[in-house]
Amino acid sequence: MAILEREEWYDLTRTTNWTTKFVTEEEFYPDEMSGHRGIPAEAWETYDEPYKVTYPEYVATQREKDAGVYSVKAALERDAFVDRADPGWVSTMIAHYGAIALAEYAASIAEAKMARFAKAPGNRNMAVFGMMDENRHGQIQLFYPHANVKRNRQWDWAHKAYHTNEWAAIAARSFFDDIMMTRDAVATSIMLTFAFETGFTNMQFLGLAADAAEAGDHTFSNLISSIQTDESRHAQQGAPSLKILIANGKKEEAQNLIDTAIWRAWKLFTALTGPILDYYTPLESRKESFKEFMLEWIVAQFERQLLDLGLDKPWYWDQFISDLDETHHGMHLGIWFWRPTVWWDPAAGVTPNEREWLEEKYPGWNNTWGECWDVIVDNLQNGKPELTGPETLPTICNMCQLPIVGTPGQGWNVKDHQLEHNGRLYHFGSEVDMKIFQMDPERYQNHMSFIDRFLAGEIQPMDLGGGLKYMGLSPGEMGDDAHGYSWLEAYSTKKSDDAA
Amino acid sequence: MALFPIHSNFERDFVIQLVPVDTDDTMDQVAEKCAYHSINRRVKEQPSKTLRVRHHENGTIFPRDMKVSEAGLRPTETLDILFMEN
Repeated sequence: MAILEREEWYDLTRTTNWTTKFVTEEEFYPDEMSGHRGIPAEAWETYDEPYKVTYPEYVATQREKDAGVYSVKAALERDAFVDRADPGWVSTMIAHYGAIALAEYAASIAEAKMARFAKAPGNRNMAVFGMMDENRHGQIQLFYPHANVKRNRQWDWAHKAYHTNEWAAIAARSFFDDIMMTRDAVATSIMLTFAFETGFTNMQFLGLAADAAEAGDHTFSNLISSIQTDESRHAQQGAPSLKILIANGKKEEAQNLIDTAIWRAWKLFTALTGPILDYYTPLESRKESFKEFMLEWIVAQFERQLLDLGLDKPWYWDQFISDLDETHHGMHLGIWFWRPTVWWDPAAGVTPNEREWLEEKYPGWNNTWGECWDVIVDNLQNGKPELTGPETLPTICNMCQLPIVGTPGQGWNVKDHQLEHNGRLYHFGSEVDMKIFQMDPERYQNHMSFIDRFLAGEIQPMDLGGGLKYMGLSPGEMGDDAHGYSWLEAYSTKKSDDAA
Repeated sequence: MALFPIHSNFERDFVIQLVPVDTDDTMDQVAEKCAYHSINRRVKEQPSKTLRVRHHENGTIFPRDMKVSEAGLRPTETLDILFMEN
């Protein structure tokens, strides 16, 4: 039997479309699920995915990838890297798995929605592979941390985090629900794959893979690089959707979807990835600062891609660029100060040497965040650890579900953007968060932030203990300083060096 | 006399925080309750200065003896707490 070359049959086969007889086309592809926006089927048939793959090719490649990562894992398992790794690096892995593994699994459902409801045949085809990719990512990122559950119960949060009301899990769920679980197929292809996966997952997986290799964690580096090869394929589903929307007079709507998703992804990354890259990763293993990674992977990439597609930079771009110097430092300080409320042990990352690095990468750091850390260091050195932990809750943004932070010390600029809507007072961490709410209040207005739940009496007793119980954090799971405060010794050494 | 939640935006601190006050509290008492969660935790004390309460949006400095119930605040409204000369 003659076997045709892929290019001889792929386009025809892929574009073969359903002709419905028992239901109308609208019943088959309801707009609320497919998001066709009244654009006719013929237009969706012009969808041209830049990356073409057949099922046999997919299976063969994935098999090789899995064989590669599982053999590296098996070979290095006896090495017990985790037992001798820097505690800051261990925290990085525990935070990563909790925030990512089940989101990947959920993403397979988002891909399944595109595979079923996208009106573009090419999108449906790619999404079938995307669905299997995300299933792989969910499973493999549960399997790897599971091997470490015997070491520490925090590793179990790879599976547990998204099933709890832990505040960072609420924030991550709110973001992923917004961009991929509650949108139609076309919006999902734009918000999840174009806005989130082309830039942000690239940075989380390649940025972290680079640091992992430097830190000697070849198992993790190999795993997340392997995942990224899938991401970079299925992330290409959004751009062809955008081209069709723009060609059919829907540019403004497309732009709004992109603007919303990029901003919300950025905010989540200020809490998840910023602290990891600039504070948890051991100084000698840092390849670049969070800001440098952002400029390379996100800013440059989006500026180029948006321009190529005939879209504009998001309206808040200047604010975004200026926030690259600020927001994640506040998120890090907040996570460290409220450390019992997270499932990993945050590394402070503020020894004198690390502060020098921070000052070099973020001029002015010592006069701003450094001032807050000075007070914390003084308290720890003077036997007042009780002053370095929380006795109340931070104010939470009603959009990103993260604390409302700003620059402290000499550059103090903290601001709450308040909005009264239907008799309720909402709080936002930035003008952008507030504008996203105002563009679609019905989507967001009923969500209760952690503070709203606390004030509504859902969290009992109304104290830290009640909060931790509500978040599902038990002793042995709740965070503490990653290095057991041993980093303070560097201050004493510095003091004696300075005196000498 | 009733519990009244406000959000404290404390000068030189990095984060806004939930602070329960009382409708009968004066603005000096509000400032003191907010200071408990910022001063000597992440903000250095400034003994020569007085803490004053400012409306976050319109910038009005509230009189020191004004009660929360007289200030026209909405529950959970954000207030700035500032170091001032008096």
